[in-house]
Amino acid sequence: MNFPYQCLEACNRSTGDRNEWLLFGGCGSDLVIQSSSGESSVWPPQKDESDVVDEPQEPPGKKIKLSPSNERTSTFACLKVSNDKKHVVAITSEDKYIRVFKIDSKCRLQQLSERCMARRPCALALTPDDETILCADKFGDVYALPLIAPADDGQNGTEPGEATDTAPQKEFSPAASILTVHSGSNRKVLEEQMKQASKGKVKTKEPLKFKHDLLLGHVSMLTDIAFTTVDGKGYILTADRDEHIRISRGPPQAHIIERFCQGHDEFVSRLCLTASGLLVSGGGDPDLLIWDWMKSRLLQKVCIRNAISAHLKGQAHLTTRVPEDEDTFKIAVSGIWHKPDSQQEDSFLVACEGIPALVYVKLGPQVLLETIGLKGNALDVSFIQLSDSTWTVVVSVDNVHNPGSTTEVREDELDAELDWFDRRAPAMTRNAQSRDAGTGGETGGGSSRRVDEKAVRNVLYGIENLRKRAGGDEQE
Amino acid sequence: MPGEPAKKQRRGEYQVSLEENEGKLPQKKFYRQRAHANPFSDHSLTYPKCPEEMDWASYYPAYAVQNQDEQKQEQRTESESHDQHPVPPEDAPSKAISKPVEIADIGCGFGGLLFALAPKFPDTLILGMEIRTSVTSYVQDKVRALRAQNTSTSSFQNVSCIRANTMKFLPNFFSKAQLSKIFLCFPDPHFKQRKHKARIVSYTLNSEYAYVLKPGGMVYTITDVKDLHEWMVGHLEKHPSFERVKDEELESDACVEIMRQETEEGKKVERNKGEKFVAVFRRMKDPPWP
Ligand SMILES: C[S@@+](CC[C@H](N)C(=O)[O-])C[C@H]1O[C@@H](n2cnc3c(N)ncnc32)[C@H](O)[C@@H]1O
Repeated sequence: MNFPYQCLEACNRSTGDRNEWLLFGGCGSDLVIQSSSGESSVWPPQKDESDVVDEPQEPPGKKIKLSPSNERTSTFACLKVSNDKKHVVAITSEDKYIRVFKIDSKCRLQQLSERCMARRPCALALTPDDETILCADKFGDVYALPLIAPADDGQNGTEPGEATDTAPQKEFSPAASILTVHSGSNRKVLEEQMKQASKGKVKTKEPLKFKHDLLLGHVSMLTDIAFTTVDGKGYILTADRDEHIRISRGPPQAHIIERFCQGHDEFVSRLCLTASGLLVSGGGDPDLLIWDWMKSRLLQKVCIRNAISAHLKGQAHLTTRVPEDEDTFKIAVSGIWHKPDSQQEDSFLVACEGIPALVYVKLGPQVLLETIGLKGNALDVSFIQLSDSTWTVVVSVDNVHNPGSTTEVREDELDAELDWFDRRAPAMTRNAQSRDAGTGGETGGGSSRRVDEKAVRNVLYGIENLRKRAGGDEQE
Repeated sequence: MPGEPAKKQRRGEYQVSLEENEGKLPQKKFYRQRAHANPFSDHSLTYPKCPEEMDWASYYPAYAVQNQDEQKQEQRTESESHDQHPVPPEDAPSKAISKPVEIADIGCGFGGLLFALAPKFPDTLILGMEIRTSVTSYVQDKVRALRAQNTSTSSFQNVSCIRANTMKFLPNFFSKAQLSKIFLCFPDPHFKQRKHKARIVSYTLNSEYAYVLKPGGMVYTITDVKDLHEWMVGHLEKHPSFERVKDEELESDACVEIMRQETEEGKKVERNKGEKFVAVFRRMKDPPWP
């Protein structure tokens, strides 16, 4: 069984007289890319390729690896193609890296930079000029990084307070004097600090050695970020686990909060701006919320939970997924994608964790809701333009777990981890695409590797975990 | 924890005796609680979705607005066309109050500052916000007692206390530019470096203070921990929405003296002859968009 594509991204680009689409898929720790012209490659480059060379003085056949890429196990969590289609920005989770790749004309990826953030990044946005990456992290902060790290990118991070916070201290002075009044526990920490100081081993964190500016922060886990421009003014939209959607000004005034959009009862996990500029937000609630976000006005609630439970109940093998008391059926929105082919209408697709279907929503005086069944749980969605007027939707589906479950391992083999709504597009399976392409016929390399179900589950399904547990952790 | 149930029971009995005796002031010893609450954890907090949903009238009953028939009439006609928000039933008590809270004491502890401010600003609504449950109950019980003792003058009707994690939910309680003063008195120092984000002042959190403050509104800080003082000053000075108020200007500000003398922590520091560091910041008007 292969690792499913946990994230997808696509773009259309024209080089010279060629018009082509590119499809990117994060597949475990591999980043796979394929174009409509049939070119494809995998990053990191596979063994026996460019990262391995013969060392002349060694006995023949002995090879030395130049990069440890094959040991890298950090998984791709998020992919974003720049507006000019020249770069891909990616997050790899476990190692907390933001990686920037250049896409060359042959559809290969060249990594330009890898920047290790202090906290695990969880969402990305790019400014329309492609100058700046906005990175939202699990700790609630948003940083701005230049897309292209300047050549002299030394130690020029400006984190307010960092100078005193993380820079190595020349002379240690304890944080308070013994004279001051403290609670018992404060006093203990302080005494500990002084003891350590006398031993000369006060550890201070290494500051990040590249330009990164702290723009804003929530005291909550961030789940999504969006950047948009209205009447020439930039806005940053951020969503968190504590039900907040915050609207801040874009840089250089990102410290100014313009407003909040308040209305969710549960965590917010995804934000999406529609063609007409409305905001759609979803999370742990049964409803999607539709906002006139410039006025913080909730326009509408769209209940997708019922559409999903109706869909599941309509399928013999899925009925049991819906609890008897339908009101206790919980969903966790894992994606909302505005349909790019609809410039006039506000329509979008929605995925929920562990649900083998997408919900198509079209706003209007009469909201249209449709479910589209899939062979496996929906993971990510991308859109490819085939011609001026035809688009196709690419969906990655979970080939490891049973449809409707985030824990049961499926027994059948799924013929493809990608599902195309429009079969005119070339069928793309893992083997046809990734392993033999670009690397000279290492066919089926992927399928021989067993995937660990637990590892897959951790990568794919983290959103329901954002839900707060009843009772909490009250401390007395 | 052993002894917990006994403690709970004692507290319960005490609560009953307090309820039977309206004007009796609560005793702190029944409300002691572990010093630090983790501002990052979920707790079992209740908070309104947005400021409009807050039941302010139950905290400031003297300021509750009566449901006016006219108002209701209006609501009804509007709802007929939209049929979205159901009109509250005829006898539903109003949650609204006649004026908004304008002074917030964040991490108010046992509320010394609140009870000193209340008579100084008799026409301004003052709210203490505290994350620890039983400490909040103490302040609430004290508010109740003081109100009962002062029915003839209606004193202390303008002060109240709520349990809240202000680091997460300040915008749930206050709307943009609602407050004129925020007090941050003797905040927990969180010495450990990895806990610095737990500090009540940080560059990013300052944006939320700026959001709830009116332009011209003030943030008052005081601490006995020099390092924390420098931290708060540094982070507020770095934030473009705030400017430091000069010491000369503070001499005429009664709030500074109250903050030094009336907070519980301030008194403790006084007894131990410790130093107190004060810094006050003004929220400036937002600049035009670039
Ligand atoms: C050292 S006490 C100071 C109490 C009071 N201001 C005084 O000066 O006497 C700090 C208080 O802040 C409260 N606190 C800490 N974090 C808080 C938060 N996130 N929200 C509300 N209160 C908080 C603590 O529970 C504690 O009671």
